[in-house]
Amino acid sequence: MDKLLNLFVSSGIYQIQWGQAVMIAVGLLLLFLAIKKNFEPLLLVPIGFGGIMANIPEAGLALSAVENAVHLGGPEVLEQLANILGISSADPKAIKEAYALTSQAKHLEITQLAIDAGFNNGMLYNFYLVSIASGAAPLLIFMGVGAMTDFGPLLANPKTLFLGAAAQFGIFATVLGAVGLTALGVMDFSIQDAAAIGIIGGADGPTAIYVASLLAPHLLGAIAVAAYSYMALVPMIQPPIMRWLTTEDERKLAMTQLRPVSKNEKIFFPLLLLILVAMLLPDAAPLLGMFCFGNLMRECGVVERLSDTSQNALINIVTIFLGLSVGSKLSADKFLDLNTLGILMLGMVAFGIGTACGVLMAKGMNRLSSTPINPLIGSAGVSAVPMAARVSNKLGLEANSQNFLLMHAMGPNVAGVIGSAVAAGVMIKFVG
Amino acid sequence: MASSDLVTEGVTLMVFGMGFVFVFLTLLVLVTNLMSKVVTKYAPDVQPQPAASKAIPAAAGPTTDQSQITAVITAAIHQYRAQHKK
Repeated sequence: MDKLLNLFVSSGIYQIQWGQAVMIAVGLLLLFLAIKKNFEPLLLVPIGFGGIMANIPEAGLALSAVENAVHLGGPEVLEQLANILGISSADPKAIKEAYALTSQAKHLEITQLAIDAGFNNGMLYNFYLVSIASGAAPLLIFMGVGAMTDFGPLLANPKTLFLGAAAQFGIFATVLGAVGLTALGVMDFSIQDAAAIGIIGGADGPTAIYVASLLAPHLLGAIAVAAYSYMALVPMIQPPIMRWLTTEDERKLAMTQLRPVSKNEKIFFPLLLLILVAMLLPDAAPLLGMFCFGNLMRECGVVERLSDTSQNALINIVTIFLGLSVGSKLSADKFLDLNTLGILMLGMVAFGIGTACGVLMAKGMNRLSSTPINPLIGSAGVSAVPMAARVSNKLGLEANSQNFLLMHAMGPNVAGVIGSAVAAGVMIKFVG
Repeated sequence: MASSDLVTEGVTLMVFGMGFVFVFLTLLVLVTNLMSKVVTKYAPDVQPQPAASKAIPAAAGPTTDQSQITAVITAAIHQYRAQHKK
């Protein structure tokens, strides 16, 4: 009978807290959106599943060895931990607070103690350390994106880089929104948090995760989920804004055929971009460096195998680990608070403002430029490759069935990737 | 006081950030244009591909003159059979 009771006490049914139950429901919701509604399934399936696994009671898959020791350890283990930290009470909450405040050297000592006591890092926590805390996964994904990107349309019409710049206004406006809310006392964000939230407006998953892991690791789960959900919602968020800001005639505008771009130009471009980054903004070098490397492998034509691996096999492997690691950050105590709601809301605003600024910039350029520029391609300046460009194409075809904007919109689209990486570099430089 | 500091910081970040993004991308536009000019002048591609890829769909697209294609194929078959007859 005692054994039966023991089994029940250690079971999930007995141990589950309401927060974990809610988070498992959130994980299931993400899986539903991915499988049934086809929202960025490549990411939301691993994220949703990781989120469910992270909230399995007592398993501690997403916890470090120390957290596991605090959570599961007996009184004597807690006593030892409290001793090292130099606090009198062996209360788990007090230990966690003291632990957060101590130096790295102390952290190491305590981790050692936890391991001696027989506690280990959870599986998902290890994934997180290797893929996100090290910065490796977002950067490898950026390399793959570089290997998939064709800069041809951009090189044929370099002016479209300005559209990629204008759309980044959404990022900075959102930063202002986040600090504004904090100033009004509605939310509680530091300037680092605000910067990491703003990057959602760049509509670029790996960039958002990279910046969040450096500036605001505690918000990473919410930021990644917001970024990927809104990327999936691009075809719903953008069109109303685009229609509202343009006239029927502007949408009908056809653009001149792009000139052919030579192979040499495509080889030189990533090198040029790399040198410019090295000279002006070394903080963006990890992101843009990997991006340029991937693109050079694609265009140089002599490392077909490497290019093929980085845009297929490697990016898939990394995506699995990245998704599970992001999921590990969906634990109840970090996700279920008012700030998450704020992040979801601000992310949406960031997207809208970015889209609007791109369209307005394109309208302005159309007035000044000698060749016509359809304002619809401006919205593609938020990255979200290639979804945003497809939206521009679709709206163009609606207004004029002969108006194919896809290739024209790919220019600002890849410019948006460069723009948001530059914006990320600026953020890391100023507030990192 | 602290909150107004935060807002000032946010505004500074916005002005500098946006300014820097524009400066960077403007420079990129300039050097890209320059690079394209230099490359097309000193190291132009040999470009038989675009002409060829345009020619093929043009021939395959309008399939009205089937008779000509049939004639060519028939002639080829005849020639092949003539050569390989023992």
